[in-house]
Amino acid sequence: MSVVEIDRVEKHYGSVAALAGVSLTFADGEFFGLLGPSGSGKTTLLRAIAGFVDPDAGVIRLDGRDIGHTPVHKREIGMVFQNYALFPHMSVFDNIAFGLSVRGQANQDIKRRVGEMLALVRLSGMEKRTPCQLSGGQQQRIALARALVTRPRLLLLDEPLGALDKRLRQQMQIELKQIQREVGITTIFVTHDQEEALTLSDRIAIFDEGKVVQAGNPHAVYERPATAFAANFLGDANFFEGKVLGPGRIAAAEGEIATEDPLPANGAQVMLAVRPEKISLVRPDAPVAPGNRLEGQLGQAVYSGMSTIHKVTVAGRELTVFAQNRSAQDFAPGDAVRLEWSPSHSVVVTP
Amino acid sequence: MSASRHSASGSAASRRRWAVIGLTGPAYLWLAFTVLLPLSAMLYFSFLTVAPIGARVAEPTLGNYLDYFRKGFYLTLTGRSLWLGVWVTVLCLLLGFPAALALAKYVKGRWREALFLLVVLPFWSNALVRTFSWTMVLRSDGMLDNALQAVFPGLPHLDIMFTFTAVVIGLVHSFLPYMILTCYISLQAIDDSLLEAARSLGAAGPTVFRRIVLPLSMPGILAGTILIFVPVIGSFMEPRILGGRGGFMLGNVIEDQFTVVFNWPLGAALSFILLAIVLLILAAFYPLLRRNLQGLA
Amino acid sequence: MTRLWGTALRVYLAVTLAFLYLPIAVMVLMAFNQSPLYKLPMVWDTVWFEKLVDNDRLLTAAAHSIVLALANTAVATALGTMAAFAFARYQFRGKTLLQILLFPPITIPWLIIGTSMLVLFFWIGIGRGLHSLLLGHVALSIPYVVVVVGARLKTFGPVYEEAAATLGATPWQRFWRISAPLMAPGVIAAALFAFAVSFDQFVISYFLAPPGWTTLPVEIYSSIRKGFTPEINAISSIIIFVSMGLMLVFARLYRFGGER
Repeated sequence: MSVVEIDRVEKHYGSVAALAGVSLTFADGEFFGLLGPSGSGKTTLLRAIAGFVDPDAGVIRLDGRDIGHTPVHKREIGMVFQNYALFPHMSVFDNIAFGLSVRGQANQDIKRRVGEMLALVRLSGMEKRTPCQLSGGQQQRIALARALVTRPRLLLLDEPLGALDKRLRQQMQIELKQIQREVGITTIFVTHDQEEALTLSDRIAIFDEGKVVQAGNPHAVYERPATAFAANFLGDANFFEGKVLGPGRIAAAEGEIATEDPLPANGAQVMLAVRPEKISLVRPDAPVAPGNRLEGQLGQAVYSGMSTIHKVTVAGRELTVFAQNRSAQDFAPGDAVRLEWSPSHSVVVTP
Repeated sequence: MSASRHSASGSAASRRRWAVIGLTGPAYLWLAFTVLLPLSAMLYFSFLTVAPIGARVAEPTLGNYLDYFRKGFYLTLTGRSLWLGVWVTVLCLLLGFPAALALAKYVKGRWREALFLLVVLPFWSNALVRTFSWTMVLRSDGMLDNALQAVFPGLPHLDIMFTFTAVVIGLVHSFLPYMILTCYISLQAIDDSLLEAARSLGAAGPTVFRRIVLPLSMPGILAGTILIFVPVIGSFMEPRILGGRGGFMLGNVIEDQFTVVFNWPLGAALSFILLAIVLLILAAFYPLLRRNLQGLA
Repeated sequence: MTRLWGTALRVYLAVTLAFLYLPIAVMVLMAFNQSPLYKLPMVWDTVWFEKLVDNDRLLTAAAHSIVLALANTAVATALGTMAAFAFARYQFRGKTLLQILLFPPITIPWLIIGTSMLVLFFWIGIGRGLHSLLLGHVALSIPYVVVVVGARLKTFGPVYEEAAATLGATPWQRFWRISAPLMAPGVIAAALFAFAVSFDQFVISYFLAPPGWTTLPVEIYSSIRKGFTPEINAISSIIIFVSMGLMLVFARLYRFGGER
């Protein structure tokens, strides 16, 4: 299979930089998620790899070869489009066969390959249907079969599950990953759904304003966000700003906060991010645990079954805390509470 | 490296440019040769004493334009053509808007589809043939006359054939579908929930009409007005068939210069004056048009 | 109150429709009336249709009109479809200007366009004839074709062509296997439209048709001016039914074209 290198790629539309110097490497057989808000450049990058967008500067290499001059139809890629783009005037069979038939393959081979692909996506027997007779999930699988039938070197997915409802999406996530493993193809996909990105990807890259903010495996990016944007976009975060007091300690408006991250020199201004689920909520009279402690007052709570989201006012600022509904804790709005978390969960981020 | 990428995207851009030129070129060359060039030739002719065809020698002159202003005859005819345009447009609006409103908001489903088709169908039958058919209805001892005599015996005979009225009736008939069509398009686009919202806020029927329906259908009314007024002031066939002497218009003088009198320079000058009037009217309406037609184009 | 208002409007619509169809109905009835002076009561007769068969002038003119309309359909559909494709699939400078330039042929009074073509064609020596008629008719048809095909192209984006490209289809394969079949209903509708525009066109033809090569509308006009014969009712009825039939087909195609 294949390795893709993106080297300082830029694309400008007028004065807007859709890609402001992006460099990334996609490893062989990797499932890579491009994540970011709309307009962050992730789709532009995907379309540049496909060949629909001509970068203004930079190089895109497929297995070491610059493909900047290769037209789309010679790039040997497979792509699944946002609304699948199944050809409405063709049957399911003709849709999947299209890539083979434009390459002039023999009818028998085409028939065999299409059969194999339909088996792979578990839709055997649907050959004669037309796209509009299929459900959303079925269309998605046909689109995947169509993209994979030519044994492309690279699979590109543009919001592949965005058009499906939640339950179907979760089911298709598992299936998509399974098929990708089976075929072993390098896959790059674009999504704005953070949960989908975390579930599917071997590695992810977070985009903002045409730049890669952070790239790495989902665990690393989630647990150790590099910037305030990354912390906020992938999950939720509470931020604390303050001056460095000494090794592992800062003075924030809410009080003194400890971290295990290396800090700059004393007196420097820094920002810490703490995930809401890392914070425990206890009564003020509970035994004191080691680590960070802040006293506050409960605000409103949003109950969502599995967990409850509490708003807690600390030194006039509102913090967010997720509490799992393990036992029947009967906190009421207005109660005095104490927040506790381990210093290892205070992550230094750039604002 | 970056230079090579620039040249690559440059070649893609030039491929695109050639594709656009290749695809649009033929159509626009054709239009240039059949619209732009002829209008330029006509402008040139309008400043000549005679048409420079054959061995004739033409001198430059302003005489054709001066004639227009010196002879009251042409100014009178221009006034009549404009007056005809106003009459036809206003009648089309009065007939067409309520019909479009009924079609868009008070008829539903299959009925609406069928009636809509009925409205646009006559539009696509020959205008000449339709105009001619009015002669059988309007002439003395014609259909209408006979019908009236049958109901009210002793009524004086109807005599509107070969009058201004006959021309107005024929043109309204010809152009009414335009007004129904453009009004229908913008009325249909008005969401019913908007009207319900207005009602729920306490607006009575007439208020809803005046404050919601009318402003939102303005683009359609304006488009219809332009699509009717402009061709009507340049019409010559309907006035000839239905108006006879009583319906002689500016268009007929122009027609005669090219087909009977063969004074092409004068015909060219009169055509340009007509075109100038059309452009002046469009320019006068321009602010209103720009505001209202943006969504339609 | 509202219901009363609705009923009143519906009646108004019916009256308007009656007004639109009254003269057409009269014409068709008179085509079957024996009396050449349209005397009532009607005496049913097909005599005018029989006379039509012997009227060489009208029949020749009708043949000319069909030839011209077919040639116009071929040329205008091809040129207009190409331009519509460029507008729908490419972003380029001056696009809005080009689109605006489509309007003069439909909005400038035909009298002015027709006479100015007459002036130019005589001046440069190509004169009147089938070629001039074709030049004029195509110019009037192109804007309609661009609009109709463009509307069809708007219903599907370039995404199908892009999908075909990722699957290895060359630009040529993309056009013939994806774009062309998807565009087809719009192109057929546009062709019908172009045929109707040409077949019904009177003003331009009036100035560009030479005495020996008239089209049907021009021939009818001169017959009317000379003092008509009821055969005109007969042939006009035929024209009306043919045009309306074409438009019914067009309406079906166009509506199905709008759906996906």
